[in-house]
Amino acid sequence: MTRLILRMLNVPALLLIVALGAAIQSSFFASHPLIYVQPDIVLLAVIWCGLKREFLEGGILTLLFANIAEIHSAAPRGLFLTSYMAIFLGIHAISRMVVIPNMVSLIKITIFTTAAWKLITLLILAFLDKAQNQWRHTLIMLLPGSAIEGALGIWVFRWLDRLDTVTFKSAHARQALEDELQLEREGI
Amino acid sequence: MIQYIKEYRFYIILFLFILIPIVGIDTSTRAPRNYRFYDRVIVTITSPIQSAIQWTLDHLVAGYQNYIYLLHTRQENLALTEENRKLLNTIASLRETQHENVRLRGLLNFREKLKLDTVVARVIGKDVSTEFRAIRINRGESSGLRPDMAVVTAEGVVGRVLRTTQDSADIVTILDVLSAIDAIVERSRARGIVEGMTDDVCQLRFALRTDDIEPGDLLISSGLGGIFPKGVPVGTVSKVHRKRFGITQEVEIKPSVDFTRLEEVLVITHHEASPVRHETTPQATQGTQTAPAINSPALGPIERTQPKGTHL
Repeated sequence: MTRLILRMLNVPALLLIVALGAAIQSSFFASHPLIYVQPDIVLLAVIWCGLKREFLEGGILTLLFANIAEIHSAAPRGLFLTSYMAIFLGIHAISRMVVIPNMVSLIKITIFTTAAWKLITLLILAFLDKAQNQWRHTLIMLLPGSAIEGALGIWVFRWLDRLDTVTFKSAHARQALEDELQLEREGI
Repeated sequence: MIQYIKEYRFYIILFLFILIPIVGIDTSTRAPRNYRFYDRVIVTITSPIQSAIQWTLDHLVAGYQNYIYLLHTRQENLALTEENRKLLNTIASLRETQHENVRLRGLLNFREKLKLDTVVARVIGKDVSTEFRAIRINRGESSGLRPDMAVVTAEGVVGRVLRTTQDSADIVTILDVLSAIDAIVERSRARGIVEGMTDDVCQLRFALRTDDIEPGDLLISSGLGGIFPKGVPVGTVSKVHRKRFGITQEVEIKPSVDFTRLEEVLVITHHEASPVRHETTPQATQGTQTAPAINSPALGPIERTQPKGTHL
């Protein structure tokens, strides 16, 4: 029972972590010169959801994460919803096609995903006719931002993996929990 | 229907995931965007964290800056103290210069008014004895000064040159007991000899008892003797005492010049009112300014009286 409760708490905990991460990245990294190395916790969480969550659950979480990001941003409404959802769908599709065996592969995907997310955001802004002042900044920060995101991903993904393990959300823990529940149902 | 939804569940969800963000895009980005209920919940959670982080950052930065500031405080304090001392000295110097400028401007106006050839000199010493009241100035023969030249200020008569060196001169003030100046009362034209008496008072001698002299009358130099030009203020009558019998009356004079505050003087090297005879000595030609040597026949015996000693 406790394990089931812990498993149910995974989603609120993930939302809370993302909210705290958004608060940190919007306050701690708001001062000069840290603003140039500001990571994107929400994007890491979206990547994590794209890889480790079911399609429906991950998509809903992505919408919620994007909404948290929009709360803390002056970006046009729907921009983050669209861009993060595009990333989620893309990552989810990739996870079905390729195998991500270790952390290094995950970090590589994170770096490329970050670059893709920035370009997608720029593209949406271009559709909204808001990109004329933004493209130069996006291109300048494309590689540094991707590198920072990749570096931060090393720790964030470990913490998220630990959270999934603790809350029995990871594949191994989930399988172990289901096996145990099955045994309980069979009276063993 | 349900079977149909289950069959195409993935595509329906995918369609919704694509549709929702696109519908959510608001092209009118400048429209007011109020928080919804669940937005407020998130903000309620995150805003205290943001405040705490910002507060911590501010204090860390402020603490670091204060630490750096304290490291340099002592050096800055010393530098500022030194700068303050220099500025105070500068202010005092400027104030002194301003006062000096006022005094010198007065002397200049006085010189131009009386058409005098003068040399400005600074008082550098006073008489070593309290019984005598001479002063020493920083101009001498090199500036064209010669004995028996008149020394005045814008306020009036100071005295005359007693003796000179190359770069200094001793002045017998009118307060000195051995000084005597022929003076007249400006109002009644009564005549007398002003002699030194005390540190701040002179007396008018040889004024006839019948002369009209009242306290407050201004005495001016008569011009007799050739040392002082005519009309220079000497002093003001402060007290008059007429004896019941006798030829003269006792008159006390308060000098026009405040000798306690005397700092700069004018040495009159030539004035038009006095018929002086110029005798250029070899020493005078060496100076920066040629001064006339006074040797007037009209010089009275009193004005030529020399102090019996030097006391500087």
